[in-house]
Amino acid sequence: MNNFGVIEVASTATKTTPGWAYVPDTGPSLSATALQPKNRKRAARNTQPGLSLSDLTARQENKLRKDLEALNRDNQRDVNIPVPSSSRSSHKHTPTVRKILQSQKTFANHLDDYQALLALAESNPAAVVNNPLLFLNKPVVATPQAKSASPAPVREKGGSKRGQAAAKRAAVKAAAAAAAAAEEEEEEEEEEEEERKRARQLAAEGEDVEMIDSPAAPPDEVEKLVETYPADGTILPAYRKRPPAVHPGDGDPLLVSVVPSFPTDEELRSLMTAPPLSYMDSRAAFGEEGERYPIRVFCEMCGYWGRVKCMKCGVRVCGLDCLEGHREECVTRYGL
Amino acid sequence: MAPGRKPKSAGPAPPSSTLVLDNGADTIKAGFVTVDDDTGDKAPRVIPNCIARDRHNKTYVGAELEKCKDFGEITFRRPVEKGFIVNWEAQKEIWDRAFFDDKAPQRCDPSTTRLVLAEQPNSLPALQTHCDQIVFEEYGFSSYYRGIGPSFNAYQDIQAIFHTPRTPDTIIDVPAEVILLIDSGYSHTTVTPILQGRPLHTAIRRLDVGGKLLTNHLTRLLSVRHFDMRNETYIVNEMKEAACYVSLDFKGDLDKTWKGTRGERRKDYATGGGIAKDYVLPDSHTRFHGIVRDHEPGAAARARKSAVSTEDILTLRNERFSVPELLFNPTDIGLRQPGLADLVMQSLSVLPVGLWPGLLANIVVVGGNAKFVNFIQRLQVELLERVPDECVVRVARPEDPIVSTWLGAANFARHEHADRLAVTKQEYEEHGAAWVARKFALGLGVDTLR
Ligand SMILES: [Zn+2]
Ligand SMILES: [Zn+2]
Repeated sequence: MNNFGVIEVASTATKTTPGWAYVPDTGPSLSATALQPKNRKRAARNTQPGLSLSDLTARQENKLRKDLEALNRDNQRDVNIPVPSSSRSSHKHTPTVRKILQSQKTFANHLDDYQALLALAESNPAAVVNNPLLFLNKPVVATPQAKSASPAPVREKGGSKRGQAAAKRAAVKAAAAAAAAAEEEEEEEEEEEEERKRARQLAAEGEDVEMIDSPAAPPDEVEKLVETYPADGTILPAYRKRPPAVHPGDGDPLLVSVVPSFPTDEELRSLMTAPPLSYMDSRAAFGEEGERYPIRVFCEMCGYWGRVKCMKCGVRVCGLDCLEGHREECVTRYGL
Repeated sequence: MAPGRKPKSAGPAPPSSTLVLDNGADTIKAGFVTVDDDTGDKAPRVIPNCIARDRHNKTYVGAELEKCKDFGEITFRRPVEKGFIVNWEAQKEIWDRAFFDDKAPQRCDPSTTRLVLAEQPNSLPALQTHCDQIVFEEYGFSSYYRGIGPSFNAYQDIQAIFHTPRTPDTIIDVPAEVILLIDSGYSHTTVTPILQGRPLHTAIRRLDVGGKLLTNHLTRLLSVRHFDMRNETYIVNEMKEAACYVSLDFKGDLDKTWKGTRGERRKDYATGGGIAKDYVLPDSHTRFHGIVRDHEPGAAARARKSAVSTEDILTLRNERFSVPELLFNPTDIGLRQPGLADLVMQSLSVLPVGLWPGLLANIVVVGGNAKFVNFIQRLQVELLERVPDECVVRVARPEDPIVSTWLGAANFARHEHADRLAVTKQEYEEHGAAWVARKFALGLGVDTLR
C-alpha cells in the first residue's frame, strides 16, 4: 500500500500523549496557521459528545494541516521550471520593475509581510499613522450628515465587527501600498521624492472632494424618504423592475414583511462605498452557531461512511473488508 | 483593430482600443474591445497561464501548450497563486509571447491601448501595487483599470442568463441593479453581492476550495484506491472535468456505490448503480485524452489481465461526486470553513434584510467549477433550506461560465464607467502608485437617480 513515501518516525513514540505531540519539522509557518485557524475557546465550551474538528489530537491536527497544504500545491512534487530565455531584445527595465521581476517571493511570503504590518499597526499605531498616505485614506464610508428621524434598522449580527475592522484595514492597506511604493522609490533622488509627495498630497486632497460623489441628503429630505419609502429611494429603485415571478404567489407576503426594513439611502451609500476587507477578513470562517458543524467521517479506503475504527491507529473504515485492506498499511507503518 | 480616433477635444481622448484581460490562475481570457464601433472580439482567446514542462524536458509557455501531446508527468509553473499575480518573471514571459512580441497572436501597442484587468477580490496591497507598476512602467499602457472580476459580471445582460421572459422593448440594465455573484475558479470560491456594478465589499466572502484542490483531492483518492497518479495532475484534472458531478442525494449515491460488507456484493455496486463510469486513461501514443464510458462490469479487470489490451481503465464510483462535494462540505477533508450555501448566508447576514430577496433571486455562478453537472441545482436546494419559505431563490450560470467575467469586462470597457474609473499613464507618473491603488479601491461611489 502506498503511504506516499513517508514513514512517520516521530509519531510512534508520542502518539498516545494527550494534548502534546512532537512536531518534527520547523513548525507551522505563520501563514499556514492563519489559513487553518483553530478556535481555542471552543474546545472548552464544547461539552456535547460527538466528533468535531476541534477534538483532534495534536498529531492528527498536524497531519491534517500537511494534507491540506498538499492539496493546495500546483505540482505534487517540487519542481523548478526556469523561464525559457527569449530572443527578444531586452529593453531597460526601471529599477522598480527590475525588483519586481527578480522577486521570488511566494504568496505566503507576501501574506506574512502583510500580517506583520497589521500587527505593527495594532501594537504601535503611531508607526503607521505618521504616514501621510494613511491619513488621506480615510475610507469614504458616508457619514450621515443628517440624523435620520427614525433610527437605521439594526443589523448587528457580527458583521459590525468586520465593518469596524474594515476601516482600520483600509488604513493599513493604504500604508502597505505606500510602503510598497516607497520601497521602490528609495532609489530616486530625495528632492524629486519630496516634490512627488507634495503633488500626490495635493491631488489626493482635491480628489477627496471630487470622489465623494453627491453629498448626503439634507435632514428634511431624509425624513421624507423614510416616510414615503419605497417609491422615493434615490439610490436603488427597490424592485421596480423585479423579474416576473417564477412560481405563483412568490414573494408577496415576503415583500410585505420586508418592506419596513428596506435599507435607507444612507445605509446603501455606506455599503456601496465601504472599502475592501483584507485577505484574511474575507475568508469565511465558522460563526458562533456554525461551531457545531456536523463532521462526516469516511472510510479511508473506499470512501463510504467510516463506521469502524482501527484500534491500532484510529483510522476509520467502513467494515471488515476495508479494515483488512487497511491492516496491511497499518502494519507496515506501526508494526504488529 | 485600429479604428479611427476620436476627435481631440479637451485633454487626450481615451484610447479607442482596450485590451481586456481576465488573468486567471489556470487560464488567461484575452481579447480586444473597440469603443467606437463593434469590431472588437466577441469572445476571448483562452490561454493557459503557465509554463509547463513535459517528461521529455520540453518547455511550453502559455498557448504553446496546445502543441503538447503527451501530458504524462507534465509539471507546471504558475505565475498566479491563490488567484493573484505573484510571480512577474513568469507572468511577463507569458504576456510577452501572447501580446507584445513581434509575432504575438494578439499583438498590441500599449502606448495606444487601454488595459482593463480583472483581479480577484481582497488582494494584498503589495501585489496590487506591483501589478500597477508593471502595467505602466514596463508596458506603458496609456490607460488602465484594475477591478475585481465579480463586478464585471454585472455588466452582462443578467436577465438573459436567467431567461427571464420579457418584451422586446424591455430596457436592459447595465450594470445590473442587483446580483449575487459566485465565482468558483481554480484557486477558490468567492461570493460577492453587487448593486449597480458596485461590489458590497464588507459582504464578500471566500471559501478556499477551488478546482485545483478538487483535482488534488481526486488524485489522492485514486492513488489510494487504484494506482499512483500523483505526477499526473493534468490527466486527473481532465478526468475530473469529464466525469465528476455534484450529487443531489449524497447519502443515496454513496449507498449505491458501496461494495458492501465482507463477502457481500451489492447489486448496485455490481452493475454500477447508474453512477460508476469507466475511465480509459490516455496512453500517450494513440490516445492523448481520456475517455469516459458507462461502467461495464469486469472491463477494468479484463484489460489488466489481457496481454493484448492497450487500455488502462479506472472505474470511478463515489469519486465522481465526493470530490465536488467539498464545495458544499469542506469539512469532509477537515477544512474549517462553511460550505457554499452557508457562505452565501454569511455574506447576506451582514446586509440589510431588505436586500436579501433581490440578491437571492439573482444568483449567478461563474468560473470553471460552475460546469459541474447539478452545481446550480444543489446550491438552489441548499439555499431554499436556509431562507424563509416565501423567498424566491434563482440560481443560474451563463452559457460559458469560464469566459463570463471576460464578457462582462468587455461590456464594461464600452461603458462610461470605464472612463470614470481608468487611470492614465500621465496620472500615474504625476501621482504615483499609491494614488492609483487608492483610486481603484474607492471605485465608482454612488450615483443617485435624481
Ligand atoms: Zn470502505
Ligand atoms: Zn490502523
